[in-house]
Amino acid sequence: MTTAAVAVGERIPAWTMEFVDPARMKTMAAILRDPYSVHWDRAGNERLGIGPRVINQGPLNVGYIANMLIAWAGPTSIRRLVLAFARPVLDGDSVTAGGVVTAIHRADGIDGETLATCDVWLDRAGERVVTGTAVVCLTMPSTTTDRPTPADGGEGDSPA
Amino acid sequence: MTDAELTALVGFRFPGGRYTVAHWENFLLTDCTGAGQLPGGVVHPIALFHVPILGARTSIAELFALFDAKGPGSVSLLGYDWEYVRPLLEDTEYRCEGGILSAERSAADNGGMSDIVSFQIELRDDDDRVVARITNRWRFNRAAS
Repeated sequence: MTTAAVAVGERIPAWTMEFVDPARMKTMAAILRDPYSVHWDRAGNERLGIGPRVINQGPLNVGYIANMLIAWAGPTSIRRLVLAFARPVLDGDSVTAGGVVTAIHRADGIDGETLATCDVWLDRAGERVVTGTAVVCLTMPSTTTDRPTPADGGEGDSPA
Repeated sequence: MTDAELTALVGFRFPGGRYTVAHWENFLLTDCTGAGQLPGGVVHPIALFHVPILGARTSIAELFALFDAKGPGSVSLLGYDWEYVRPLLEDTEYRCEGGILSAERSAADNGGMSDIVSFQIELRDDDDRVVARITNRWRFNRAAS
C-alpha cells in the first residue's frame, strides 16, 4: 500500500476470526494474569446466569481490529486506537473487523508521517460489538530508523 | 465502597516499575489473536493491555480489589484509548508509571449504582522517550440494595 493509493472513503480490507476459540481465551488469561473466571469457566457462567459460553477478553477483540490494520498498513503502522465495547464476544462466535478511511493528514511534529484516521469496528452476524477510531501511519518518516522497514520485513508485510 | 472512598481513589498512583516482553510471551499473545507473527521482534499491539498494568506493578486482581469488585459479572469493559508513539519490541525494558484518572458514580438500570473509573499508564524507554500511553475505562456494577 502507498499513501497515494489511499483515499478518504476507502474501505480497509476486512479481517475475520471465523471461530472465537475458548482455548485461546485460557492462554490469554494466563498471559494477562487475569483471574476473572467469565473468560474460562463455562459452568461458572451458567451459575451466574450469563449463559453457557465464556466471554472473549477485550484485548482479543481489539486484536482482530489490529490484525486488520496491520494487514493493510504494516506491523508498526498503528498510532492510536480509541475503542468502545458495546456487546461481549463469546466462544464460538464468528467476528469480522472492518474499517473505512475518514481523513488523511500530516502528523504534527513528526517529520514525514502521513496519517489516516479511520472508523473501525468489529461485527458479529450483523451486530456491531466494538466501535471506534484508529489512527494509522501510511508512510514511515524518512529520518526515523527505529521502526522496521520493508527491507527487514517490516511495513507492508501482512500476517497470515 | 462509599462515595467518599471512591472519590479518594482519583490520583492514586501505582507503584511503577519495569516490564520486558519475552519472545515466548509475544508469540503466544500474537497467536491468540489468530494472526501470524510480526517481523523484527515487534510486539503485537494488544500488549498494551497487560504490559502497562503488570509493568506498573499492579494487576487485574489488584484493580478489582481497589474498586471493591464483587466477583464475576460485576465488572464491564467500557473502552480503551491506546496511543503508540514508538513500536514496542521484544526483549526491551520499558518503565511503566501511572494511576487512577477518574472515578464517577451514577445510577444503574437495575436500581443499583455503577462506578465508571479510568486509569492511565505511560511506557517509557531507557532514553526516557514515551513509547506508549494507555487510558482504560471500566465499569464496576454495584448491586441494588
